[in-house]
Amino acid sequence: MVKYTIKRLLQSCITVLIVVTIVFLLLRLLPTDYYFTEEELMKLAPEQLNEQLEAAGLLDPPLVQLGRYYSQLAHFNLGTSRRIQTGVPVTQVIGGKFAISMRLGWISLAISVVAGMAYGVVQTMNKGRFWDHIGTAYTVFVRAVPSLVSYSLILILGSRYLGLPSMYSTRNVFLSSILPVVCLSMGSIAGYMLWTRRYMVDELNKDYIRLAKLKGMSTRSVMFKHVFKNAFVPLAQYLPQSILLVTGGSLLVERFFSVPGLGALLTDSISRYDLNLVQTLVMMYASMGIVGLFLGDVLMTLIDPRIRLLGREGTR
Amino acid sequence: MTNDSNTNTVSADATGLNEKQLFSFVEYQAEAAEETGYSEYSYWKSVWQNFLKKKAAVFMSCVFILLFAFTFVAGPIGNYKYDEIVPDQSQIFIQPNSQYWFGTDNLGRDYWCQVWYATQTSIKLSIIVAVGEIALGVMIGLVWGYVQKLDRFFTELYSILVNVPTIIYMTLVALMIGQSFKILVGTLILFGWMGSARLVRNLVLMYRDREYNLASRCLGTPMSRVLMRNILPYLTSVLILRLALSIPGAIGYETTLSYLGLGLGVDTPSLGILLRNARNYFLDFPYLLLFPAIIVSLITITFYLVGNAFSDACDPRNHV
Repeated sequence: MVKYTIKRLLQSCITVLIVVTIVFLLLRLLPTDYYFTEEELMKLAPEQLNEQLEAAGLLDPPLVQLGRYYSQLAHFNLGTSRRIQTGVPVTQVIGGKFAISMRLGWISLAISVVAGMAYGVVQTMNKGRFWDHIGTAYTVFVRAVPSLVSYSLILILGSRYLGLPSMYSTRNVFLSSILPVVCLSMGSIAGYMLWTRRYMVDELNKDYIRLAKLKGMSTRSVMFKHVFKNAFVPLAQYLPQSILLVTGGSLLVERFFSVPGLGALLTDSISRYDLNLVQTLVMMYASMGIVGLFLGDVLMTLIDPRIRLLGREGTR
Repeated sequence: MTNDSNTNTVSADATGLNEKQLFSFVEYQAEAAEETGYSEYSYWKSVWQNFLKKKAAVFMSCVFILLFAFTFVAGPIGNYKYDEIVPDQSQIFIQPNSQYWFGTDNLGRDYWCQVWYATQTSIKLSIIVAVGEIALGVMIGLVWGYVQKLDRFFTELYSILVNVPTIIYMTLVALMIGQSFKILVGTLILFGWMGSARLVRNLVLMYRDREYNLASRCLGTPMSRVLMRNILPYLTSVLILRLALSIPGAIGYETTLSYLGLGLGVDTPSLGILLRNARNYFLDFPYLLLFPAIIVSLITITFYLVGNAFSDACDPRNHV
């Protein structure tokens, strides 16, 4: 197990490194004009622009720049922001936004796990009856209707009829977070509902459940002691991944409600050519995805000791 | 033959004939024998019949076909042509009326022709993207699953592509190459094949070492033929389902990207662009949101229902 863990972590590091390298080289393909604002381009002479670029080391061949970047990484130096907050270390820029995205993400994840799983259980217990159909209709709606449309609906309902603020503001954090959190949770509630129901229904048809019922256990204790526990195992696999992913914030929700979080930072930094920031963000997202996958596998083996990772690589 | 003897039996019971008359041999008839030995079961016919039983899905697909046909008619019957609309400050935010059937937008342009033009663009885009995605995914998935030497390579490629937020690629493409219908279609296909490729790969792994494929390989059948003739037919139903579900996916993705300013250019209206424009005004003028939102939801729900109905219909256990 230890050997496997180390091997898998090393592999993940290599993948992250490759990803960062690709993005690094792609960014260097852009014309150098983009590094300046239009104002600077108008005002400054070409020589001055060149000087600035040279000082920043952006005129060296890409491979030289790449080598320099690697040695910086080895010293845990991620560089400073160039355009978003000029001169401020990248970690500091990200850190400030991180808290906002993380809070929204974690709250909505907690809501969706609890609500989604609970309703999934309700659906299983009422299989084929009214409450089951309501849940199915909800999942179809959420999965089929584009999120932009459902967000707009929530916005109209929330701000017109409930009087909630339509934009995120730092002055009134609690009230203005409600709509973004609702939007964030809506989709994942449907996901957890769907899979909880599906795994529980699969489990219901197994022989040991029939035996438990024959022994005279009540439906409720069969549901919670046997069915839900076993159905939880495959669900647990995705938990760490979603915890890490929601930390990164949702691009669409953050744009839609003007939340100053991480999601919006990514597109901003790309469109304003803040290279160090882009590279760091990419590295962060890539490692979150990979580490989440790995933690999910580990968590699954912890919950259900029958599952072993050894012998079959890539349990995805 | 059965018919004759049956009627005989029935009448025999009633009339009380003796045993010899009851159990007499019937003359051999080639046609009748063939009729009982041959079942008229055809897989695709049963799929079709099962699909027709799903009333909601059938109804929605009719609605969709009518809607798509209507996008071509809607432009000419409107009061304004899409190519001729111009911003007009005096005509902004007019509620829907007999002159402007869907009202006007924030620049005073007729909304009716914009909405239908956008619908057409979005439907075309999503169908091309979905077909392209699946085609590329199938090709890569077949090779990925079948050629074991390449498994490592494709797995690495997959994990690299999947682990970077697609938004990064989309932003880079939008900045470096530009924004147009063709570019968006190209990038969406280029970064969207991974899901179906993985699915195909896993299915190919299941079928590739079955005995009949082993026999085929021993007889020297070329790889392409094994893949196309022996393996691909098994995947058809799964792939059609996948296709039906990736159309709403593509539409949703297009709206998101256009909303973020990474999709189509502002001068190519799609439903995403309209929704994006509506974002700042729809609290006061809900009709700006309403028309595109209803149409886009209608399309995506249709494909979702049709896809699910089709996947049920494809399951041989539901056949007679």
